[in-house]
Amino acid sequence: MNGPQPLTVTGLTVRFAGLTALDGVGFTVAPGTVHALIGPNGAGKSTCFNVLSGVYRATSGSVRLGGRELTRETPHAIASLGVARTFQNLALSAHSTVADTLLLGRHRLTRSGILASGLRLPRAAREAGRHTERMREIAAFLGLEPYLDAPAGLLPYGVQKLVELGRALCMEPDVLLLDEPIAGMNPTERQHTAALIASVRDSLGLSVLLVEHDMGVVMRLADTVTVLDFGRKIAEGTPGEVQNDPEVVRAYLGEHQETETPR
Amino acid sequence: MSERLTSRLGWLLGGVVLLAMPFYLERFWLQAGVFAMAAAIGAIGLNLLTGSAGQLSLAHAFFLAVGAYGYCVFAGDSGSATGLTGWGLPPVLAAVLAVALAGAVGGLFSPIAGRVRGPYLGIATLALIFIGQHVLLNAHDLTGGFNGRAVPPLSVFGFAFDDSATVVAGVPFRSMEKLWYLGLALLAAGALFARGVLRGRPGRAINAIRDHQTAAGVIGIPVARTRGAIFVLSSMYAGLAGVLLALAFQHAVPGYFGIVLSLEYLAMIVIGGLGTVSGAVIGAAFVTLIPQVLTKYSESLPLVSAPGTGGVAPGEASRYLYGAAVVAAVLFLPGGLARLPVPRWARKGARDKAPAPTSRNMEVST
Amino acid sequence: MTAFLEYLVHGLSLGAVYALIALGFVIIFKSTEVVNFAHASLLLAGGYIAVRAQESVGFWAALLAGVAGAATLGALLEWAVIRRYRGADHSVLAIVTIGIDIVLLTELARRIGPDILTYDDPWGDALVTVGSVTVPQTRVAAFVTAALLIGLFLAAFRWTSWGVAMRAAAENRETAALMGIRLGRVSSSAWAVAGALAAVAALFLSVFPTSGLDRATGEVALAAFPAAIIGGLDSTTGALVGGLTVGVTEALTTGYAAELDFLGNGFGHIAPYVVMVLVLLARPAGLFGTRELSRV
Repeated sequence: MNGPQPLTVTGLTVRFAGLTALDGVGFTVAPGTVHALIGPNGAGKSTCFNVLSGVYRATSGSVRLGGRELTRETPHAIASLGVARTFQNLALSAHSTVADTLLLGRHRLTRSGILASGLRLPRAAREAGRHTERMREIAAFLGLEPYLDAPAGLLPYGVQKLVELGRALCMEPDVLLLDEPIAGMNPTERQHTAALIASVRDSLGLSVLLVEHDMGVVMRLADTVTVLDFGRKIAEGTPGEVQNDPEVVRAYLGEHQETETPR
Repeated sequence: MSERLTSRLGWLLGGVVLLAMPFYLERFWLQAGVFAMAAAIGAIGLNLLTGSAGQLSLAHAFFLAVGAYGYCVFAGDSGSATGLTGWGLPPVLAAVLAVALAGAVGGLFSPIAGRVRGPYLGIATLALIFIGQHVLLNAHDLTGGFNGRAVPPLSVFGFAFDDSATVVAGVPFRSMEKLWYLGLALLAAGALFARGVLRGRPGRAINAIRDHQTAAGVIGIPVARTRGAIFVLSSMYAGLAGVLLALAFQHAVPGYFGIVLSLEYLAMIVIGGLGTVSGAVIGAAFVTLIPQVLTKYSESLPLVSAPGTGGVAPGEASRYLYGAAVVAAVLFLPGGLARLPVPRWARKGARDKAPAPTSRNMEVST
Repeated sequence: MTAFLEYLVHGLSLGAVYALIALGFVIIFKSTEVVNFAHASLLLAGGYIAVRAQESVGFWAALLAGVAGAATLGALLEWAVIRRYRGADHSVLAIVTIGIDIVLLTELARRIGPDILTYDDPWGDALVTVGSVTVPQTRVAAFVTAALLIGLFLAAFRWTSWGVAMRAAAENRETAALMGIRLGRVSSSAWAVAGALAAVAALFLSVFPTSGLDRATGEVALAAFPAAIIGGLDSTTGALVGGLTVGVTEALTTGYAAELDFLGNGFGHIAPYVVMVLVLLARPAGLFGTRELSRV
């Protein structure tokens, strides 16, 4: 493949047992941009991520990366096409070290199987050396170097979120799906992580699809914003356009008013 | 550094002691030792599957049987008098083929072992135990039926692991002495191989599948295929253990390879420690040697009496012991015996582990 | 034809008994996410208590004692062991039940020894004939009792507050706890109900035409495991269908053993496991089990 390709979602619909989680959603993540997916809780953002990464099956519609259709592929096949994602709730092995967790991201780029690892063939050792080196570079980029030998489960939450990001970056993806990457972080951590995401796009040229509730960060980072509400796309445009869209204001304010209704 | 040195010295000392044993131990203990080594090999395999990949299997005894009977059929003579089938292959080749056969049978089951998850697989593998027992009892020409069949002794390039005495330093080496060294070599090789697998790329992958199946797929790990592969590897370890057990028993009977044996192997890895090679070895020694010790010293132990005298027989006493040890290990000693001296910092760290967001600052340099 | 009908009736009756066991197994799984490998020894314990109590209190009271004993034992195990586990790995929790099973089974096997214990049940070896089909009374009693108990359970599961709590806990433990459902009670009651059902099943696995309760009865009860898996481990409907499937399969393959001779002696006892393997190959989550949303 020659560099990042557009990720095109068209008419994506997902139904679970009578509930329509996504209803004909479509958008395109242009190569090398940060595209934000926002909306109130239950709007279908996480479902969308789960379809894009192959975890859920779409009821209908299509997801294309360049010319490849992704909706029929398994998660690991989608990963091998260069799509990486992080999870809203951490999905780390508590006892594995940060180094091992990051190396996990290299799985699709490495070959050593049971025989090569068990017999400690020189081939396996060379491969491990090469990829450990690259893993360290990525760890350094994220500031994770001091934690490499620590079990991931013992680290502060904010650092664990960075480890997730690091594992996804270790996959050397073309498209990075970030599910609330700064949720649960303190202000300092948020700022750092937002800067990292911007620099991932600028220096590595990746496309980033971002789900995030922190509007300040979304408005600053995103090149394009797609707004979902109750599984439908209600607006799309630059952060400025979306911010003043009456539909969007209604979706957010409506939710706001409901929570403020006196009991 | 010094810690590493002590551990190296420990290994060296242990190795020397184990190598010297056949010069001092009587046959009873040598045989117990060979059983323990065979069990350790099998337990390492089960620990790869259950401890590291999180896939429960009750079929381990079945794969031990495949190894044991596979060896008997491949190496045995086809005598018309006994009515048994035997290919009469060189024993070493037969042993290798028996291990390969166990792997192949595991591969046949891998469509299920790859897609069925965790404890659920435990029940599915019950099928192999019961179907296995059925085949062992009914395929008379292969297994000898209920009464089993004799195990042909191993011989490597003319050196026979049988009861012909080879005198070494004034000590006559018979089958058990020779099998002791064979077992030790195979165990060392099996342990090193497993450690390589666990520390390398496949080990990371199976741990990820155990902890977060969905995330593992998204990272690019083919979950079903990887689970299937580890099931095959685990079956091959069981097959090798089966060959060694058969050689030590000198006669293989179907009754031995029942569900109780599978439960014993699970007990071994839980007691020793899930997910580690050393845990499997320690657990195997614990579970196999306890009944031997209790049998040998039943007269001098309180509460234990010789079989058939009405009290608690040594076999029963050891089952109480390891059954209770399994429960105790899971509840009070999650790392098993292998991690008995828990470092203080780890204990403290585990308690401090914050599931919720913390306000600690990151030391990120940008 | 008559033979076939007799096998079928026998199989349905046996299947209803397996369904009782499988149902308990599924309840435990739904409410505590534990795959209970000690289920067979729980059953044996219930049977043993009942048979032993007969001499002093008579059959019916003894049966009650067995049911109460197994229920108490189940609840006790849940309280003393399962609830103490702090980890998250369900395979490990399943292995704990294996540890329990080893201890329980060793103790029961030691107490029972080589004996075969018989119930003084009111049915004895009497037969019922309807048309050309003749079956033992015990089979009819087993079917009716199992059907009643299953109906009772399903009604309770659907309409009582206990049932609501159980289903809520099965759906999402954390949410249920936040809604004020006491998870500890839900779990121990699930184990108690499972124990009680298993004790009833023990009776019907040991009466005529079986010679009695012996230490291998637990192994016979293991056939309820494939029943639960065939139906789907988290489905009560599945437990019933699975139980009946296993019962009928076993009865037919045992009945036609002569014709199935080429499959080896005693194929009837392993036929349920063969069916389980076939079902799993086609549907890894069982016939009625929830297929996980995520793909592998």
